[in-house]
Amino acid sequence: MRLLSKFSHRVRSLFGKKAVDNELNDELKFHLERETQEKIAAGMNPQDARRATMLEFGGLESTREECKDMRRINLISDLVRDTKFGARMLRKNPGFTAIALLTLALGIGANAAIFTLVRGVLLRPLVNRDESRLIYIHQIVNGNGDPNSIFSVPEAQDIRATSKTLTQVGEFSTIGFTMVGLGEPRVIRSGVVDGSYFEVMGLHPVLGRLLDEQDDGPKAEGAIVLTYRFWSGVLNRDPSVIGKTVRLISNGPRSATVVGVLEPSVPYPAETEIIANVVCSPHHLSATMVTSRTHRMTQLFGRLAPGATLAQASAELNGVYSTMAKDHPEAYPKDANIRVEAKLLRDQITSGARTVLLVLLAASGLIFIIACSNVANLILARTVRREGELGIRAALGATSGALRRTLLAENLLLCGAGAVLGILIARPMVAILARYAARYSVRALDLKVDSTMLWVSAGFALLAAILLAFVPRLPVTNASQATTHATGSPRISGGTNRRLRVFAMIQIAASFVLLAGASMLVKTLVSLQSARTAFDTHRVLTFSMPVISNGRPNDQVFTFYRETLRRIREVPGVDCVAMGAIIPWREAGTFSPGTEFTVDGYVPGSGEGSPRAQFRAVSPGFFASLGVPIVAGRDFNDLDRLTSEPVAIISQSVAQRMFPNQDAIGRRISWVGSMMKSFLPPSMRIVGVTADIDDEHIIPGASLTIYHPFEQVGMGGRLFVHTSADPYALVAPITRVVRGMSTDQPLERPTTLADVRAEVLTPDRLNAFVFSGFALVALAIAVVGVAGVLAFSVSARTREFGIRLAIGAQPRHLLAAVIREGAIMAGAGIIVGVGCGFALARLAGTYFQGAQMPGISVVIVSALLLLAAAVIASALPAIRAARVDVIQALRAE
Amino acid sequence: MSKPTDLVQGTLDLLILKTIMLEPAHGWAIAHRIRQISKEVLQVNQGALYPALHRLEQQGWITAEWGESENNRKAKFYSLTKDGRKYMQREQANWERLSAAIGLVVKTS
Repeated sequence: MRLLSKFSHRVRSLFGKKAVDNELNDELKFHLERETQEKIAAGMNPQDARRATMLEFGGLESTREECKDMRRINLISDLVRDTKFGARMLRKNPGFTAIALLTLALGIGANAAIFTLVRGVLLRPLVNRDESRLIYIHQIVNGNGDPNSIFSVPEAQDIRATSKTLTQVGEFSTIGFTMVGLGEPRVIRSGVVDGSYFEVMGLHPVLGRLLDEQDDGPKAEGAIVLTYRFWSGVLNRDPSVIGKTVRLISNGPRSATVVGVLEPSVPYPAETEIIANVVCSPHHLSATMVTSRTHRMTQLFGRLAPGATLAQASAELNGVYSTMAKDHPEAYPKDANIRVEAKLLRDQITSGARTVLLVLLAASGLIFIIACSNVANLILARTVRREGELGIRAALGATSGALRRTLLAENLLLCGAGAVLGILIARPMVAILARYAARYSVRALDLKVDSTMLWVSAGFALLAAILLAFVPRLPVTNASQATTHATGSPRISGGTNRRLRVFAMIQIAASFVLLAGASMLVKTLVSLQSARTAFDTHRVLTFSMPVISNGRPNDQVFTFYRETLRRIREVPGVDCVAMGAIIPWREAGTFSPGTEFTVDGYVPGSGEGSPRAQFRAVSPGFFASLGVPIVAGRDFNDLDRLTSEPVAIISQSVAQRMFPNQDAIGRRISWVGSMMKSFLPPSMRIVGVTADIDDEHIIPGASLTIYHPFEQVGMGGRLFVHTSADPYALVAPITRVVRGMSTDQPLERPTTLADVRAEVLTPDRLNAFVFSGFALVALAIAVVGVAGVLAFSVSARTREFGIRLAIGAQPRHLLAAVIREGAIMAGAGIIVGVGCGFALARLAGTYFQGAQMPGISVVIVSALLLLAAAVIASALPAIRAARVDVIQALRAE
Repeated sequence: MSKPTDLVQGTLDLLILKTIMLEPAHGWAIAHRIRQISKEVLQVNQGALYPALHRLEQQGWITAEWGESENNRKAKFYSLTKDGRKYMQREQANWERLSAAIGLVVKTS
């Protein structure tokens, strides 16, 4: 009963506000009249009676307020009133409002975006079933410095057979196919898995089924599963693909049926278009793959048995490994120092991105600090101007809490609006940052912007508002002081001034750190972009045209390609055309970091191993197509065929290294090692020497390369076309020629070498772009901050400047004084920034390798930039100080 | 007339509730009656009375109604609710216990 009446009472107080107020007035008025009446009845005259009553009653207004307070609705109505008032104040100062809003929006938006990214990539669980028991196994080979070595099939079998801590083990390797039958013939990457892979990974099909035990082994039918990205992107979610037959061409053609489509999931360990069973790839069934312990192509995933831990699994795997090493000493060199480790798959996937994301998090944290301190400055400056008004309010009886509430309401409004703006900024920011982070972890591609961002933004906004509400110092609630402040001129106390300066210095320090980081990245980018290459990048068009044999005998295949090249040469506009082995830079690393070779009569120096060179196969005219000169001997020609003498062309660095001051032509050169010898001639005669072509690194260095004629080794697959006209105009005619020769031949990715280079540099470009963006934002905010502080301090010292001018100071002295003040603030901030940056870099060095200290030039440039910005920021207030009208200044009080 | 004594909030509540226990009264009448019954010792300040009345109303111990006063003007009359009556009895018991204890201490020292 009581609750009900309480509730209705409160509702009435809230909604019938006006009526309730009137009632209260009536009630108190009645009391006054009644008391007056009483006094008159006691003998006073009416006037005295009324006056006495009023005096007795005391503070009518405060009584009224207290009654209303008792009704406990004041909190809400006060907040509403404060908010309306706050909105009006903000509207009256559009400059302040705009800057503060923008600053907050950037700070909150950046943080919300980065938080979403971090959460989506690092914290979100994988879509795989029961992913906390899904592990990834790898070898750490300390001997040759390879931290992520994988397994061979016999090793995988041993592990599977003996492991008790793992209930199941799945295998995954990658191979390239040319796939014909789903649209255009195309070159694709495919995963090749065993029957237990999908079971181990715990994934589900979106259509059809996934590969399982029945697809395992050499006797099964060919079957493939399409990945979701491929199916929804390239095939437009066509449901009729299930059951279609395709031809997969690698070492020989195989046919396979499409049995299903995989659900969207992280493409680990490699992004592939399809996943096939073992029987689709002749290489996987070959003796090398199945029996060789050292042919390591397979990645292993496992499921922890119930009750087993990661540590137990790792220990057991190491045990299996020692047994293997004992039983097969020929495959495991003694000094390799191999360790096997099991890791949670989720950790494996995100480890690449962790660094980047943490750096981003730090950067955005800095921006948030800068933004908040900037707004704090602005608010502090404004509050001091309002000291008079706040003083009057305090004198009228507003408690300290009430004043803070006023400020809080205003700040909430500001921060709320800033948060809304920030969310609008955050959405596109997330998209950009996700694409950027996707290079480090494929999980970023999968990111969804969800309501977490809203909560995070709201949280940040609230945090900012509360922090900022406590920034200004409230006036003393003392009547006498309040009246002296009421004139409205701001009185700068030492405390306020100090706070302002501290904030400005924090901003400058943080901006400096960001600037230094960004400059470093920009410097790297510039050095990459401006690196000159040996060859003519704008006039060379490249295609990917893999060599497929289709079961034909070798000489038919070579005739086909020779004829295709001849026909392409006849297309108008083509200067020369040739086949090469890889697209420079884009496909760098396709062949291992170098294979050992030797020449006849070469004796390695003591302590040296055999030198290493890159293997390449090219057709005649390759060097001319790239615009690279042949410095000695000849190019390959049509006479260098499979049946003729094996020949080779070497790069200049090889010649200088192996035949210093001698003629290389006619000498014999050969590769070392069984793998190369299995498909290459045992030794070749050197017929030519060419200038170095470094197609592995953007910044070219000396490169040792040995070229074979494409027809003698049967490898190639990249087309290079040199033209003096617009390269892209040749794409259509060349495609027509190739289609005319064969409908099955894939011809893909026409790109000029210049565009390939830009493509490869995109990540670095993006790096520099993102961080420069951050740094510029920080700089802008810091500049505004410094300007604000100085402007404020100048306007407060108007009287002082007036006096100094009156007693004979030159205006330019005042100008200099203000600018000096600004420079000192900036200088102090920079010193703090250098110290912080140093500490941060040291910290980063302990966590990630490869973190370099920025060079001195970077530090100096950033410092100068900030100093210049600070000086410019001081200029406007300084000019205002110098132009102070003496009389006005003296009078203004 | 002796100086009006400061009254603690809870005590004021008790006085108000006791005053309107027998019949409803408006604010002035409550203050007047308290002064009368206490023989001019307890003079309730209006600045304390009305906030207390509104608080009690808000808490549901008393309820208000507009009616006609003795001089034919509109006034707000307060009366005790059932819960208010129970609350008053509780507070009265507390007060008697408290004042007895204070009396003991004061008498002995």
